[in-house]
Amino acid sequence: MTRAKRIVRGCLLFLTVLALVMPGTAGAQAKPDLTIALSSFATESLDPPVAGHLVKYYLSLMFDYLVGTTPDGQLSPNGGIATKWESSADHKRWTFTLRKGVKFHNGDDLTSEDVKFSLERAGGKRSTTGYAGILRTLVASIETPAPDRVVIVTKDPTLIIPNYLSRALSSEGMILPKKYIESVGDDAFARKPVGSGPYKFVEQITGSHIRLTAVDNHWRLGAPKYKTVTIRVVPEETTRIALLRRGEVDVTEISRERVGEVEKEGYPVHFRKEEAILSMWWILGPDGMVAPMKDKRVREAMNVAIDRNEIAQSIFAGRAEPAAIPLGLSWSFKEIGLKVTPDMMYPYDPARAKKLLADAGLASGFSLDAYAYQLPGLPEGKAFAEAVSGYWEKVGIKIKLIPVDYPAFRKNWVDRKTPGSIGYFNIANRDWMGTFALLEKMAYSPSKPNDTVNDAEVDGMISQVAKQTDREKINTLMRNSFLRIRSEHLGMPIVYLHSPYAASKKLGKWNPGSVMYDLFFDELASGK
Amino acid sequence: MIRFVLSRLLQSLVALAILSVVVFVLARATGDPLQLVLPMSATPEDYAEARRYLGLDRPYVEQYLSFVRRAVTGDFGMSIRARRPVAELLQERLPNSLRLAAFAMGITLSIAFPLGVIAAVRKGTGVDRIAQVVAVLGQSLPTFWVSIVLVEVVAGRLQWLPAGGNEAGLASYVLPGFTLGWFVVAGMMRLLRSGMLEVLDSEYVKLARVKGVLERRVVWVHALKNALIPVVTFAGIYFSILVTTAIVVETVFAWPGLGRLAYEGISSRDYPVIQAVVLTTAVIVAVVNLSVDCLYAVIDPRIRHAR
Repeated sequence: MTRAKRIVRGCLLFLTVLALVMPGTAGAQAKPDLTIALSSFATESLDPPVAGHLVKYYLSLMFDYLVGTTPDGQLSPNGGIATKWESSADHKRWTFTLRKGVKFHNGDDLTSEDVKFSLERAGGKRSTTGYAGILRTLVASIETPAPDRVVIVTKDPTLIIPNYLSRALSSEGMILPKKYIESVGDDAFARKPVGSGPYKFVEQITGSHIRLTAVDNHWRLGAPKYKTVTIRVVPEETTRIALLRRGEVDVTEISRERVGEVEKEGYPVHFRKEEAILSMWWILGPDGMVAPMKDKRVREAMNVAIDRNEIAQSIFAGRAEPAAIPLGLSWSFKEIGLKVTPDMMYPYDPARAKKLLADAGLASGFSLDAYAYQLPGLPEGKAFAEAVSGYWEKVGIKIKLIPVDYPAFRKNWVDRKTPGSIGYFNIANRDWMGTFALLEKMAYSPSKPNDTVNDAEVDGMISQVAKQTDREKINTLMRNSFLRIRSEHLGMPIVYLHSPYAASKKLGKWNPGSVMYDLFFDELASGK
Repeated sequence: MIRFVLSRLLQSLVALAILSVVVFVLARATGDPLQLVLPMSATPEDYAEARRYLGLDRPYVEQYLSFVRRAVTGDFGMSIRARRPVAELLQERLPNSLRLAAFAMGITLSIAFPLGVIAAVRKGTGVDRIAQVVAVLGQSLPTFWVSIVLVEVVAGRLQWLPAGGNEAGLASYVLPGFTLGWFVVAGMMRLLRSGMLEVLDSEYVKLARVKGVLERRVVWVHALKNALIPVVTFAGIYFSILVTTAIVVETVFAWPGLGRLAYEGISSRDYPVIQAVVLTTAVIVAVVNLSVDCLYAVIDPRIRHAR
């Protein structure tokens, strides 16, 4: 045999081996598995009070909330463990009637003791959830008068309890099995969690996937449409799209810039409209806003110097809308009765910006530091920061763009080390309760480290919300807080971001809903 | 020989001790992990509580000594991000990286050996030039670019092979293994080619030819055996590099290996994970280097006698 023949034979052998190991188009066949590819798993912990709101995507399949919601975020007696909730006349005792016959995946009955245990654990020392703070300060005690009744007693009158413990917010309202956790311990529970939701835990391979299997005939979903749900972590977008093309995933996160390409190939793209507001702010000094931003005209000038429409089109591929109100979480606007009128939108007016700066005695401009960083859900972060800096340069503000990672900016922000410098965040949209929780963090002086507003009038309104028992008054307070922040230009709203999720061609109808950090996958899997 | 091994072992231990200090200090220099773990609303009290819970409130020296004490028993503490023992995470990830590196090395050897030998035997011919081009491409094309192109074309468009993950059996290894392997092919092929050229020109090879030994036997047995010494060293070092530094390939191919764990640890400032990955990496490199040194000493006795 000649050498050439041997080489050909070697190549054929290699191709044969390749053909044997290739799965071919097997991935495209129908399967009883719903597979979702996400770019990251925030914490990879399966313990709700540790994992927090960022992992609601999959935890809400494993656990039930005390109060359920519809996909559009309305509280619903059909979606949670509580079928009814009512407050005493003084709004200091909230009684929840629990659904009967609910069992955890290990067979234990779910009772009021589990609810009490879960809420206390959510406010405990191990908890790192985003919103436990208010519960810690507001809840006086939790009573369990019967296995199907829980009473939450608050120190002050309040209306926020049902919303705070609902699926609309974070993971504080997830109900966990008291007996199981007490018998195996916190760490074992985090490794092998037991919930009462429509899917139970099968396995977690860190850096790869989490696999769940359906509970037969669950009260929330009926007979499930998919036997298993697998949530894969696939950091690279090209790989996620290739997996979609091969039929290996059914739903995947994609970037705004690749929506057109994926749609052209016939894959449906579902949007979470206005999933986040991209808002900028100045780091405050020890006593609030520092010069020259202390001057309202400078704040307005910086706002009108930005062409929001161009940013929406060029940086965010047209998958964004200009925003008008700093920190303006629009999913709450309908609930609180806030209507954004055209005159509230910031026009792109560099001439006016220059005039405002001149009026403020800054005709020759001034220097400012701006931080540039990427964020989860905001791969355009640095490009956006460069674009905005360009607009400000045009009106004479000399920007020094500082590339950092977000934690470095956050440290400067909360430590107030570099007052006056600018940062941004894509703040997840949410209902009125979540919005209040955000305002209470970022627009309320007493919550110091995170405050970005420092305005006595806004402080006064926000301080009244948690204790207010008249819903109309709450709406008015929140509405007026936003109007005040807008009229004083206490921040720079840029755009609302639409988040795209590509789906396989045979996935069918899916409403990813408008609940913070929750894609309502269970609705996809519902057999009802 | 025993003295030689003990001396090498001692050197490795000193290097590991120094590295443990360096990684402990550098991990902390990257910033506070709690800025990433705790929510925006966390109060200074929440930070203090979390620091106590994670043992980050103790003096650095105490933290270091505790880390070393536990590390020698294989306990690297609790991951700040995953809230699981780091040793468990290593147990999950390291075998995936070892398997991928072994597959990649298999690809490297199966391409580099024939190419290197044929290029040397047919020096200056078309085959030699093609082999050189393959080598140059493997070394000059960035790994992330090769990965993305393979995912896009071979997995996404042609749908021949899985795009990511390690759940589809042997097929999962082909694209990431090829990407890693091709990069190494270049160096190994060129090393083998130059080694072969030198050996083929030596007196004993000429003598073998004069004695009428078949050319195939002269090349593949007599010459190749003697050209292998630098290649063995190269393969050993690159195997440890493939295990420990495949961050880009593991990220693009969603491969749950050690490289991804390192990346996740660094991006979330997960000190225990960073420390564990760096030390594990160092141990792998030290063990491989020691093995290669020993192998070298066995192959060429002059080396051990020279120490």
